[in-house]
Amino acid sequence: MTPEGSLLAAEGLRKSYGATPALDGVEFSIHPGEVVAVMGPSGSGKSTLLHCLAGIISPDAGTVRYGPHTLTGLSDARRSALRRTDFGFVFQFGQLVPELTALENVALPLRLNGTKRKEAERQAREWLERLEVESVHDRRPGEISGGQGQRIAVARALVTRPRVVFADEPTGALDSLNGERVLNLLTDAARESNAAVVLVTHEARVAAYSDREIVVRDGKVKDMLAGLI
Amino acid sequence: MSPLRPRAGRGGGHSDDRGAGGDRAPRPPASPRTGAWARDLAMGMRLAAGGGREGWIRTALTAAGVALGVAVLLLGSSVPTLMDSWHGREKARENMGQAHQPPPADDTVRYTSTDTVFHGVSIRGRLVRPDGAHPPVPPGVRQLPGPGRMLVSPALKELLDSPEGALLRERLDYRVAGTIGDEGLLGPRELTYLAQSTTPLTAPDSYRIDHFGKDWHAPPMRAPAVVLLIMTCVALMTPVLVFLGTSVRFGNERRERRLAALRLVGADVPTTRRIASGEALFGSLLGLVAGGALFLGGRQCASVITLWGINVFPSDVAPGPLAVALIAVLVPTAAVAVTLFAQRGVTVEPLGIVRNRPPVRRRLWWRLALPVVGALLLVPLARESPWRDTPFNTVRLAAGAMLLLLGVAALLPWLVDAVVGRLHGGPVSWQLAVRRLQLNSGSATRAVSGITVAVAGAIAIHTLLTGMQAGFAQAYAESGKLPRIGLWGNAHDWPQVQRALTALRATPGVTAARGTIDAGLSHTTGRPGSTDRFATIAIGSCAELRTLARMDSCRDGDLFLTGARGHTLTPGATVDLTPRYSEHDPVRPHLWKIPTAARDARLRHPGPAPGRVHYDLLATPAAVDIGRFGYPTAEYQIDFDRDTPDAVEHIRTTAAHIDPTMNEFSAVDNPHDAQYSSVRDGLFAGAVITLLLIGSGLIISTVEQLHERRRLLSTLDAYGTRRSTLGWSVLWQTALPVVLGLGLALGCGLALGTLLLTMLDTAVTVDLPVVAGMTGIGGGVILFVTALSLPPLWRMMRPEGLRTE
Repeated sequence: MTPEGSLLAAEGLRKSYGATPALDGVEFSIHPGEVVAVMGPSGSGKSTLLHCLAGIISPDAGTVRYGPHTLTGLSDARRSALRRTDFGFVFQFGQLVPELTALENVALPLRLNGTKRKEAERQAREWLERLEVESVHDRRPGEISGGQGQRIAVARALVTRPRVVFADEPTGALDSLNGERVLNLLTDAARESNAAVVLVTHEARVAAYSDREIVVRDGKVKDMLAGLI
Repeated sequence: MSPLRPRAGRGGGHSDDRGAGGDRAPRPPASPRTGAWARDLAMGMRLAAGGGREGWIRTALTAAGVALGVAVLLLGSSVPTLMDSWHGREKARENMGQAHQPPPADDTVRYTSTDTVFHGVSIRGRLVRPDGAHPPVPPGVRQLPGPGRMLVSPALKELLDSPEGALLRERLDYRVAGTIGDEGLLGPRELTYLAQSTTPLTAPDSYRIDHFGKDWHAPPMRAPAVVLLIMTCVALMTPVLVFLGTSVRFGNERRERRLAALRLVGADVPTTRRIASGEALFGSLLGLVAGGALFLGGRQCASVITLWGINVFPSDVAPGPLAVALIAVLVPTAAVAVTLFAQRGVTVEPLGIVRNRPPVRRRLWWRLALPVVGALLLVPLARESPWRDTPFNTVRLAAGAMLLLLGVAALLPWLVDAVVGRLHGGPVSWQLAVRRLQLNSGSATRAVSGITVAVAGAIAIHTLLTGMQAGFAQAYAESGKLPRIGLWGNAHDWPQVQRALTALRATPGVTAARGTIDAGLSHTTGRPGSTDRFATIAIGSCAELRTLARMDSCRDGDLFLTGARGHTLTPGATVDLTPRYSEHDPVRPHLWKIPTAARDARLRHPGPAPGRVHYDLLATPAAVDIGRFGYPTAEYQIDFDRDTPDAVEHIRTTAAHIDPTMNEFSAVDNPHDAQYSSVRDGLFAGAVITLLLIGSGLIISTVEQLHERRRLLSTLDAYGTRRSTLGWSVLWQTALPVVLGLGLALGCGLALGTLLLTMLDTAVTVDLPVVAGMTGIGGGVILFVTALSLPPLWRMMRPEGLRTE
């Protein structure tokens, strides 16, 4: 698969933590609406790859292109702005703000972008309904179950209608039933809005929800469809 | 091993111990309770010592809080012994007016006071003239100085040796023969001297004594002093306790993980609490030692501090042994109690899950009861006039003030919850802060309670002192409108007064000097002691008398009746020149008949005025024999030019050369100003230090909170949250409770200060700049905490928090 027409592409990514190389010349690309699973054993560099692709960290070498932008050349403020508008995130433990209600958590990315509170909460409520957690809109994260919390996190990731969703072990803390439910909702909603999904996981059953799988091992990437890149 | 299995030895569980017959061997009895406490406390102490960087930081913070608390308590408990030592030395060196004057002997001495003032500072002076070769000596002196010589305190010697003391050297023109030892001084900064007169000292200028030292009993501390002491202790100790409560929570997350690991291997909940208490005990024992060292080191500063005119030696600042023992036991116990209290509602589970009790709704009724009861105790006292200094009133006053201050601390959490519960809307940073406080305002409110009590106490005390100082300032300003000094001393004859007037008029800066010899006399009829019987006579030259009254003509030998106060003194009436002021007064009468040639004169200033004497008779020196009066005094009024530098000091020097025992009455210097200013400065410094302490506690709790939320912060960073958004959120989260606390402190402090001033029948005066300054410093704490919290906040907004592997 070539990066032609890709929404997000990376070339020659290298990143080390001290003397330990986490990424060693990685190449990656993803197209709109595509779900790509990034697999690999623990400590292989999957999360590091995700963070570099999302512009959260800067690689030591290589480039990341997002549309017309070269992410690796942007300032921290520009990358933050891009993450507010174009990217969504789902993490293993949800990481909802404990003092905000579910509705306020989902509305938060819109508010960070400057949307007024009422409009942000209106849109948030739509996503809560879609993800079947509208009944707990006024509860705080400490008052809901793990599955509900993760669906709220998915709603939060999708509320800004991002073009790329980065999901790092989104079902890692859930039982299989809740995990399946979350993955279904995430991938369906993403495909509906033609958002690409980078899905980091070490579980094959999770990877089964993707269109394509890549494996990260010892800092290198192998596309299961295209062989070693 | 299942975490649910009870530990071996606890009974009721499984055991692999089996006897020969296959039966289980009886389990050993459970350890005694005290053994469990000791063992678990010891384990906690070992964990604190080996708990890594965070453990040591928590231990150091706990020790710092305890050290401060111990130092404050030791200082407070030193006040009674300090005052006893101070008063003891004061009385041991004094004997002005020995009850029964002994006859002159080899071991007696004539003794008189020659106190003076130099640039507003009092200098204690004593003049002696021994009758024999073995006179008594006061403490701190091995032998009396020779004639024309003096022994001085080290501070006075330093002043005399300095350029600033040049004028004083002219006044105290004795040769310095040595210094007075510490036993003879009230404090290291006291200015005092002991000189021997070159001329005989006679009565009534001096007293004959055969020993130094007066019997005395320590008077109980007056109510205002007790209240000030209690309020100061409460205002200082509350922030220290709050800081302690914050410091024991430092590194809580790691400690709870450690305790969870202990739970996993079988420790029960009470055991984990005892272990946590042991960690606090380690820190508090270190703090006890540090507090003692801080106290011992800090008390060395006592020699340079003068508070309320009292300056003491470092060795005077010594708490009693009972107080030390109590503090040594109570403070570590309080630290352990605070730890246990902090863990209420927290249960560390073996899997590391910490379950908290659901947030308890704060009740208003008991929080309001404290300040209301305090006010109920104080308001009736404010209405009573005049204030009666009784033990019951003292207790009411102290209890009322304390309840009011503590009530403020109790009200704040409810107020914060009530206010933030009604807030909504606003930008993201505000929303995050408000929601955070709505969910759990506990730690921030606890820290701010300390600010509230400290500021309320400081404002109340400051208001009280400002009002009292203003009262004195007004009185002195009224009296000191004219540039005038009054002097009085014993009088022997008119030429003495004339010589004094000549010397005073020649003094630099003097524009006018007037003087008379004044004496009291009485009618021969009527009951002894009745004030209607007494009259006052002024003896002076015609020039001097004309300054007091209008008269047609005057020459030496004339006598005038003024008719002041409606006296029925008439020419030819008989008066007693040595009036008896009570029925038991042993003075023998000296009768004198008012000459029939006495004429009328009208006083120039007949109305009542401060310091003005109503003379009933005016006499020229030849009209009456001054020696027949009982206690004639020379009275001088000296006007001076304020623009002449040190005019007042020149006058005082002249007066000292005329008669070193002469006394001054003037409003030139207000001695209360320095007293009150010293206390107010100390208060301000104490409030600043306290607020910084609370600020440090707030920073610790804020950084702790950020640390606990580091993963969330990384997530928010991943979402592109601006750093400024979270920075503002930290500011709002700190500002809201601090602003509410300061508002409460301001109201309570001013109310309490007003009540106290009303009680003392003093006009309420608020020093707005200082009050604004204290509340401003509280506001500065907000910025200080926020600014120091930003670097750790930004450090935690990093992707490392997102890593799950």
